[in-house]
Amino acid sequence: MIQHIDVHAVLQESVSGIYTDLVTRPTGRVVRECIERAMATAAAAEVAVARIDFTGVGCIDYSCADEIVAKLLRSLSGVLVLMGISDGHREAIEPVLAGHRLAVLIEQPDGSLEALGAPDAAAALLDDLVARRLAARMPGGTLALTLA
Amino acid sequence: MTRLVEVPAQFDDRSFDQFASAFAQAAKDGERLLFDAHAAEWASPYGLVGLLAAGQAARGAGGGSAGGAERPLLTAPTHAEVLTYWTRAGFFREAAELFEIHGKVPRVKAADESDVLLPVTPVRAAEDVHAVVSNIQQRASAILASELGLDPKATMGFAMALSEACQNIVEHAGTGGWVAVQAYHWRRKLAKRVVVIAVADAGVGFRHSLEPTQSKRFGTRWGDAAALEAALIQGVSRFRDPGRGQGLAGIRRYLARWNGKIAIRSGTARIAIVPQWDDDVPLREGLPAFPGAQVLIIIPEQGSTKR
Repeated sequence: MIQHIDVHAVLQESVSGIYTDLVTRPTGRVVRECIERAMATAAAAEVAVARIDFTGVGCIDYSCADEIVAKLLRSLSGVLVLMGISDGHREAIEPVLAGHRLAVLIEQPDGSLEALGAPDAAAALLDDLVARRLAARMPGGTLALTLA
Repeated sequence: MTRLVEVPAQFDDRSFDQFASAFAQAAKDGERLLFDAHAAEWASPYGLVGLLAAGQAARGAGGGSAGGAERPLLTAPTHAEVLTYWTRAGFFREAAELFEIHGKVPRVKAADESDVLLPVTPVRAAEDVHAVVSNIQQRASAILASELGLDPKATMGFAMALSEACQNIVEHAGTGGWVAVQAYHWRRKLAKRVVVIAVADAGVGFRHSLEPTQSKRFGTRWGDAAALEAALIQGVSRFRDPGRGQGLAGIRRYLARWNGKIAIRSGTARIAIVPQWDDDVPLREGLPAFPGAQVLIIIPEQGSTKR
């Protein structure tokens, strides 16, 4: 089962109904804690993949990329997939994860997966996903989640 | 008795040390200060936020703490154009709380258009950083893309850099500060358009902030310069969390990509990442002491930036 979490909605509900940007450590901390609570609630329902949707989020700064993405990756045992990621979001997330030697899965609008972050960690992440049969090769050679 | 601090006629990062020296001299005996800007002909965003930081420091020292003794005095520029620009840049809106202002300040609004991308804006909490980032994205996008020739995607990186620069105040200064962003034609070095971010506070500064975690590592070398080197070059933070220190590192990456410059002054030292088009000195020590930290970021128009 895949759990879907709308980060924009979490930001609006937990921090600000006005702003759409994920900036500052305190904001990142509050948003991450909300996501962690939602995941903990869903853990009992045998969720294998958490799909974190950044659609509608404006800017992400390095502090929030670290506070949300890097810390979720370090604390969670399940599979984390990010979607709705823009080029600007990547610019913040990639170096932060590389600095931690971490990688995260990005799901493109067409469903294909790529790993973003430290190259070694990215390769290992994709291999692990296939080994656990959570993703499979598509006809074009790209990876996609096997779960709906 | 009132001590005079002369504001340089051309007040920017280059003349800031002259101002800091006058400030340090005048402030040492705790008397009330008079900041004399009547002859000011021009001030960069760095000069304006630096002057506010001096006013903040003067209130906290000789001028008495907030709500306490008299505020420092400020004589406003007498040149009408200068006065109008300082007002449009949002300087007097913030200065009114810090200084007893002498001189006629025009009733013009802080700029909603033109080259003032972000008027002088207070930064005291995370909420202020949200407001700054939100405002700058609405206003800076067109200028960054059309006038500076930056890829439209660079706007978000610019907002990230601005966010991290402002967060240094919230997380490390122990007090509030100010940020201003402006685009202008920089004749001095480049004969090109540039966007300048200036951030200043009169807080504890980098050395004090990093001392508990870094001073032992540096031993006898420890001081303002070592603290700036640790923060900007080595990416260390006062927090032990391994993810900390990302902010300045991120700014450096952004500036490397767009051939930009950053300089940070704190206490008696100043450090800079100097691009090819500039001749600034990477590290200066033994400068006149000035409280807090002052950050200057310059992003030039893209294309050839060779001197």
